[in-house]
Amino acid sequence: MNEPIQSVRSSLWSRVDLGAVAPFAALAALLLLGTLVSPRFMSVDNLSNVLTRSAFIATIAVGATFVITAGGLDLSVGSMAAFVAGIMILFLNGGLIENPVLLIAFGMILALFVGALCGLANGLTTTLGRIEPFIVTLGTMGIFRSLVTWLAQGGSIVIKSSELRSAYRPVYFGDVFGAPIPIFVILGVAAIGAFILYRTAYGRHVTAVGSNEEVARYSGINVTRVRTITFVLQGLCVAIAVIVYVPRLGSTTSTTGLLWELQAITAVVIGGTRLRGGVGRIWGTIAGALILEVIGNIMVLSDLVSEYLIGAVQGAIIVIAMLAQRSLSRTR
Amino acid sequence: MPACLSPPRPAGLALVNIAVGEETPSPALEAFGLSKSFGPTEVLSDISLAFARGEVHAIVGENGAGKSTLMKLLSGHLEPTKGALSLGGERIVLRGPVDAERRGIVLVHQEILLAPHLTIAQNMFLGRELRRGATLDDRAMNRRAIEAMRALGVEIAPNIAVERLSIAQRQLAQIARALIAPHEIVIFDEPTASLTPVETDALHRRILEMKAKGVAILYISHRLNEVKAIADRVTVLRDGKWIATRPASALEPVDMARLMVGRDLLNLYPDRSPRPSGTPVLEVADFNAPGYAAGASFALRKGEILGFAGLIGAGRTELFEALLGLRAGRGEIKVGGRTIRLHNARDGMNAGIVYLTEDRKGKGLLLQENLTVNLTLAALDRFSNGPLIDRAREAKALDEAIVDFDIRLGDKNRLAGELSGGNQQKLLLAKMMLLNPQIVVIDEPTRGIDIGAKQQVYRFIAALCAQGKSVVVISSEMGELIGLCHRILIMRAGRIVGEVEGEAMTEDEIVVHATGVGASAAAASTARRA
Amino acid sequence: MRKLLAGIAVLGLIAGVGAASAQQKLTIGVSIPAADHGWTGGVVFHATEEAKALEKQYPGLKVIVKTSPDGAAQANALEDLTTQGIDALVVLPHNPDELTDPIRKVKSKGAFITVVDRALRDRSIEDLYVAGNNPELGRVAAAYVKEKLGGKGDIVVIRGLPIPIDEQRVNAFNEGIKGSDIKVIDSQFGNWSRDDAFKVMQDFLTKHAKIDAVWCQDDDMAVAVLEAIKQAKRTDIKFVVGGAGMKDMVKKVMDGDPMVPVDVLYSPSMVAVAMDVTAAGLVGHIPVRGSYILNATLVTKENAKDFYFKDSPF
Repeated sequence: MNEPIQSVRSSLWSRVDLGAVAPFAALAALLLLGTLVSPRFMSVDNLSNVLTRSAFIATIAVGATFVITAGGLDLSVGSMAAFVAGIMILFLNGGLIENPVLLIAFGMILALFVGALCGLANGLTTTLGRIEPFIVTLGTMGIFRSLVTWLAQGGSIVIKSSELRSAYRPVYFGDVFGAPIPIFVILGVAAIGAFILYRTAYGRHVTAVGSNEEVARYSGINVTRVRTITFVLQGLCVAIAVIVYVPRLGSTTSTTGLLWELQAITAVVIGGTRLRGGVGRIWGTIAGALILEVIGNIMVLSDLVSEYLIGAVQGAIIVIAMLAQRSLSRTR
Repeated sequence: MPACLSPPRPAGLALVNIAVGEETPSPALEAFGLSKSFGPTEVLSDISLAFARGEVHAIVGENGAGKSTLMKLLSGHLEPTKGALSLGGERIVLRGPVDAERRGIVLVHQEILLAPHLTIAQNMFLGRELRRGATLDDRAMNRRAIEAMRALGVEIAPNIAVERLSIAQRQLAQIARALIAPHEIVIFDEPTASLTPVETDALHRRILEMKAKGVAILYISHRLNEVKAIADRVTVLRDGKWIATRPASALEPVDMARLMVGRDLLNLYPDRSPRPSGTPVLEVADFNAPGYAAGASFALRKGEILGFAGLIGAGRTELFEALLGLRAGRGEIKVGGRTIRLHNARDGMNAGIVYLTEDRKGKGLLLQENLTVNLTLAALDRFSNGPLIDRAREAKALDEAIVDFDIRLGDKNRLAGELSGGNQQKLLLAKMMLLNPQIVVIDEPTRGIDIGAKQQVYRFIAALCAQGKSVVVISSEMGELIGLCHRILIMRAGRIVGEVEGEAMTEDEIVVHATGVGASAAAASTARRA
Repeated sequence: MRKLLAGIAVLGLIAGVGAASAQQKLTIGVSIPAADHGWTGGVVFHATEEAKALEKQYPGLKVIVKTSPDGAAQANALEDLTTQGIDALVVLPHNPDELTDPIRKVKSKGAFITVVDRALRDRSIEDLYVAGNNPELGRVAAAYVKEKLGGKGDIVVIRGLPIPIDEQRVNAFNEGIKGSDIKVIDSQFGNWSRDDAFKVMQDFLTKHAKIDAVWCQDDDMAVAVLEAIKQAKRTDIKFVVGGAGMKDMVKKVMDGDPMVPVDVLYSPSMVAVAMDVTAAGLVGHIPVRGSYILNATLVTKENAKDFYFKDSPF
């Protein structure tokens, strides 16, 4: 009998996790669709536009992957982004430091600090306060949103100095070796995220806590600490997104980041992370964020769909992507 | 009340004479050459059996022998690859478990399948709620839930959420739920896995009642003493094949075990080492787990195996969970003479104490993860360089664990949830042993695992004690406590009420302490001793 | 209590303005959307500023400003205001259709009703209607684009949200360019959001090799459109026409930015006008009923300084 051969084959096959491949297959299918629909879709300029502007959601979604993998949820990320951006711009406008480059550098550090602090507040309230993260972050979502509206007095917060603006502008619009800087930010954040989630003990603990909190607790894992840190990571990711976002328009308004939380969660779930926790896929999340952005891009570039129906088509594509993913995972 | 029996029908079909050719009562359910394959592997081959009304027919076999598959075929959860069924003489094809239930075939699952947030009564009538007009008739459902639980010897309010029940109470609720459906054939899959002797007795009384009413009962259990006590006939399966069907009167537990494993099984329990007399490694004084246990004081010596016996709800699990910092507790704990405080599992691990939970699936292992992740989860810092996990070292540890603990699997990439109960227990042991503990608390070490694996677990516990480690065994199987331990403490209603050792370690003695009543319960359990 | 207050108000009215103003207690309730984007931010700013100014101007007059994040919250706010007892209501409804009945209820308690910007389904409820001129905004923009491009060119349109105001503006715009050789080669919703408008404009730039001008009817979106054009380093686009009168845009017009030669007014200060007229009617008994439609004035380099409010957040 050739049983040994068969068992080798089956173990090789089982190592190819179709669920993990699905979002990339969906992305590839969309790229193909885009190419068919518009000749300009595959142009370098267009692809780099799409990649660049997916940076915010992708970065935030990497953080969300951690939170969701650990069994949590953060609805406050969009408001938090607006809030952190507001604080950062106000600091830049304060002009405490003469040198614009130094000022911007400190602004970035401040943004990271504020983001981490916001995440810590979310995390501690959920873990120590033992309140569902859904409710906690729904609350902080309102708080951050109001704070930014208050800071802006209802209007927008704009970087006042044009010198500062032009010094900061390249962080979004500039490129290195021909590739826009935000693309490197996505890659960097995802690589670090993947490293933490897959290669470190902390990442393993995140998965364990999301998979079964009790097992984690009985295995001597500090569940509170693990969960809280996921929220801090989420805050840091929001801050990184803000650092890339602010130079784009040089301003933030009370509508900045509106519904970003839903886009981030959608990206995470399309990417194959389990919404109930226990399975996290960082690269899938990046694919998910790109899918969302590519869909929007194709809709505008093509003349196929009436502007009134774009939302319906986007929703349908997301549902189809999820169905495809589910059926692939089930065949495992 | 629950059993709505149709009047006995005359036997329609010729009997399939399966065993020794003696007189068989009229069959209710018959299987003809049942086979089941998953892909290329045949897990059950050519099984022909007849199950008679008013008879308890036990099916025994090691894990993987095909018992569960057979039960699933008989109850419509699976469709046979080959073979047929007949019910009351009529050929039938079961189209799923709902169809089977409609025909009066009820399976009592081994896994607890209750919605934790719903009450006992709500669970019991889930999907078949009683109505009064358009509204639910909660009063009637609660009343019938009380009756159904009382029939199993449990007095409990029907409006308690299932999550607040102990595992044993959940199992009884599940049995009660199955039995309120009209039934002619009832299949019990390991119904007593988490029951103590008193509850087991109550269940057995219930089974005898059903039997007297003409219900055909299929009974799967690893507890061969129980099988001997309750069954009329016993069928042994091994590796998916039928081995023997004999009257229970003609088969002693040791014979069953021999048929199950296909060889002689001598010495289920390892030789007992002399009781150690050294200094205590663990001293507990006046320890309380609020709501569960109070005033617990005991000492554990180096190299000792200390048993904890008691009924379900006696507070044994909760006492040790509180001791280990897994739930709220108060009292003095000394390890190696030093007073310590344990706030969480990690504190215990650092102090050299580990606790192996009775709830392997809920609290012990990540069922959706592979073996490596599970193995190293509690000791991940030993497999890390700084924050980075060393996967090569992890893989090596898994290879070692597979050898050391004889974890049997086809493929190292399998998920923990796909392992048999015995292999899961071995994996949990391996996981906790990576912490190199001095004191090991094992809760229900052999629940739901087959006899071969049981023997291995016992030997492993004996080996630990030979290495100078100390072991606490919490178990509802008195036989294993008696066979394994140097000394047994008995808990009742949250308190340690007795201690037995040496010759005094008998089931009678333990039951007297555990129940607080003397002779009657003791006599009942004596009847079951092999 | 409410009756009592109403009685006092009536007494006050009988006693005459001058004599009564010392002890006369009159209350104006102002219900507006919360600052969810730039323009409504401006509304909130102007309403609160005007409330302070009015209370100073008319001793005894109380002005309560309530902001609400959505239509349902606004309906609640209207009930709360009624409970507090108001003599007049100035309301800028989220969605006029769904708020028609709640406002009718306020009127039935005897309050004077001033509706701002968005007309109700039942026009008989309004005692006073103050609004910018939405069709006019589209027409003025169309006229300018037509003239500036010499009646010929390819333009793209970025719309707001799919609600009636947007429809009125766009229809009037299309009407305005009819007959010329100006072609709208593409049109998408930018949701009056900077981020969305940025994306849409980026994609338009990818899709169309030559665009002569952009009409985006809102200055918030215009900011993003300008940024996208700058990034793409495109020189074919001659100018961008926004709308509303945001101070940064008015400043650009004032400074002669070639990309922003004009702006079309649709000022959030209309709420202040409405409050002012309402107060004058209430306290001064000036007959103020009817419709006040504010012009969609074209802001050019010449008149820009008249429309530049340095302290406004918008």
